[in-house]
Amino acid sequence: MSNEAEKPNFITTSLDFLVNWGRTNSLWPFPYGTACCAIEFMSTEVGRYDLSRIGSEYVRFTPRQSDVLLVAGTISYKQAPILKRMYEQMAEPRWVIAMGACASSGGFYDCYCTVPGIDHIIPVDVYIGGCPSRPEAFFEAMFDLQKKIKDESYMKQRAERVKDQLEMIKAKTEQAKAEAREFAREKREELKEFVAEKEQKLVKKAQFWKE
Amino acid sequence: MIVLDPNGEKMNLMALNVGPTHPATHHCVRLLAALDGETIVAGVHEIGFMHRGFEKMVERGTWQQVIPYTDRLNYCSAMMNNIAFCRAVENMYGIEIPERTKVLRVIVNELSRINDHFICVAAAFQDLGGTTPFMYAFNPREEIMLIWEKLTGARLTNSFARIGGLYRDSYDGFENDVLAACKSVEKALKDLHACLDRNRIFLDRTVGVGKISAERAISYGWTGPCLRATGVESDLRKDEPYYDYETYDWEVVVGTQGDANDRLQVRLAEIEESVKIVRQALKRLAPGPVDIVDPRIRVPAHKLAYQDMEALIGRFKSVYEGIRVPEGEYYCASECANGELGFTIVSDGSGHPYRIKVRSPSFAHVSAFNELVEGLTLADSMATLPGLNMIAGELDR
Amino acid sequence: MEANEMTFAETVVSVLTSKFGGTKDNAAKWDACVVVPKEYLHNAVEFLKNDASMQMDMLLDLAGIDYLTYPNHEGPRFAVSYAFKSTKNPGRRVRLKVLVSEADLNVPTITDLYASANWLEREVYDQFGLVFTGHPDLRRILNHVEFVGHPLRKDYPAQKRQWLSTTDFLVPELEKRLEDKGYKVIQRSKEIMPVEEEYLEGSIRE
Repeated sequence: MSNEAEKPNFITTSLDFLVNWGRTNSLWPFPYGTACCAIEFMSTEVGRYDLSRIGSEYVRFTPRQSDVLLVAGTISYKQAPILKRMYEQMAEPRWVIAMGACASSGGFYDCYCTVPGIDHIIPVDVYIGGCPSRPEAFFEAMFDLQKKIKDESYMKQRAERVKDQLEMIKAKTEQAKAEAREFAREKREELKEFVAEKEQKLVKKAQFWKE
Repeated sequence: MIVLDPNGEKMNLMALNVGPTHPATHHCVRLLAALDGETIVAGVHEIGFMHRGFEKMVERGTWQQVIPYTDRLNYCSAMMNNIAFCRAVENMYGIEIPERTKVLRVIVNELSRINDHFICVAAAFQDLGGTTPFMYAFNPREEIMLIWEKLTGARLTNSFARIGGLYRDSYDGFENDVLAACKSVEKALKDLHACLDRNRIFLDRTVGVGKISAERAISYGWTGPCLRATGVESDLRKDEPYYDYETYDWEVVVGTQGDANDRLQVRLAEIEESVKIVRQALKRLAPGPVDIVDPRIRVPAHKLAYQDMEALIGRFKSVYEGIRVPEGEYYCASECANGELGFTIVSDGSGHPYRIKVRSPSFAHVSAFNELVEGLTLADSMATLPGLNMIAGELDR
Repeated sequence: MEANEMTFAETVVSVLTSKFGGTKDNAAKWDACVVVPKEYLHNAVEFLKNDASMQMDMLLDLAGIDYLTYPNHEGPRFAVSYAFKSTKNPGRRVRLKVLVSEADLNVPTITDLYASANWLEREVYDQFGLVFTGHPDLRRILNHVEFVGHPLRKDYPAQKRQWLSTTDFLVPELEKRLEDKGYKVIQRSKEIMPVEEEYLEGSIRE
């Protein structure tokens, strides 16, 4: 029973497929756009490029309602604690795209005030090159992210997440079983003693009446 | 916090933090407002979230290497900054650029201005919750971007101007592309005016909001469309003309009220004037060289390097040592999309800039922000900010 | 037009020279720039702003300059260049320059004359460490509060990075602003300190 969730079978793979299908086609970005790349992201959103083709046109400016943190622009040391906080406020599952040279590596601002890549602060899933990145490059990154999400298994992740709990439950059950066995054995012993005592008493009584 | 107001009455104020992670503040301005109900009683604001060390970085490169950095000051109209910087250095050399370059620079300048103003108006509408004008404004903008791609190879940060000329001449069919773009700009303007002018919601949100008097604006160092919206007729293209701007037929647009609506309307009207200038400039575009002939300033053409010894040396020197700008100090300003973009340049006569200080228009505009929003409601403060066209790259440099 | 501009530049220089003991700056070959002694700066700026013949009503820019590595430089290490222009008489511009030695970093403020001076002076203080005496709110503006040193000085290494652990509180400044406007704070709001995990301690890659 307990191992069934970890092994792929018809139900779990279908569930994985369904969950991933839903996730890939409605990635809501949270544009953390500080600089030039944000302007290119605006171009990506509208007419000619049209981000709604991949179901991401619903741009949310709040970490609570978004799936993808899109860091578009330079992150300075003054901005860094805020970015970290925003990332931590996002609900799982969450992904991060570093758009443009500045977010990926600091770009050509190799300077006292710019963080050399946001991977110094938060984990990153996809990097995009360019200063600023073209809208086509942004789409490419979204497709990469979709591929990455399709490979993920919801059940596996769930198993991973509840692994500790499962083990704890197993250990607890073992302990309880052992305790019950011990208790039963003690009871049996007690019963045996009791029966033996009774027999002796009966024997004594019989002898008494014989006499 | 509990305070006593000037009349001695007790008030319970709430300190509320707005931004930098707010769609209207562009992750770059933080406002801490003391709220009485919904009204902002007092506010302090903080910038510097996008400070990326322009002034330290340019000291490490050569003079021509400054140009990509200037692109990223006001990235909505990148080429204008290139041209402003190149003009400052050219003035220090005392050189006159060829006629075709002047006209090309004017065309590029005005198209960039159109681009910048479109983004400002579109973003202002988006921040107030209107999505349609955003789409309208971006169509002609994309068309201009296509011209940029053909002309310079890049979409946004173009690095087109060079000290003493341009990166390259325009391509075949440039004129037709620009004319077609002008047409779609005019069409979009019509659509935008239809959205803006009689839109009750928009007018209620912007008319009389974020007002500033002309004296106060001047004291804060406001320039460009924001100052013109208060009724001051001040435009460097007319006041201190360069690139023959005075010979084109156009007018300085001024507002009357100095509120958020005026700032956007002035921008829209300026787009019209810019289209006028572009149309006239296209007629003046005569064939000719775009670079000055001086190997100490402008690197010689690539094909010359294979035939001519001097050209080879010139290319080598200008790449490895950089050009040598005459020693001295100079402040030179140009009229950019947001206002007066000035460069205080200190040169020690070597191949590297000694110090370049940028006078950015956004810095002056945003410094007045807390004074503008005090007394308004919190929602109105976010209607005020986009009209200032705060561009973080320029604000924090 | 050209002749008028030249004469105006010349008159500005001569007036400032005779009235405020200024000298023409030889480095400025392309525009009018006058070096003014520190103690007369405020008077000179007031004169430029209010005098009917000048009307320099806009302060455009303050540029700090550090002459530490300037070849063959003599004199004080720092300088501040003030750029003015007139909106009433278009085309009139002038720059003032103040020399500041390393021993005495004080410069008189001009925030009472121009509103734009407030942030511009804060920026020069932030980047160069020049102290503007009389400034109402002199603190860092572009760099964060935990920054040590002044980055645009020539002896500050360009790649010396400094992490910020948490964002500025900013409520004391708000209270100050309230008090400037005539309000009186009787009960201050409590500072909510971020919990231990919220501090950013540095790169997660190292």
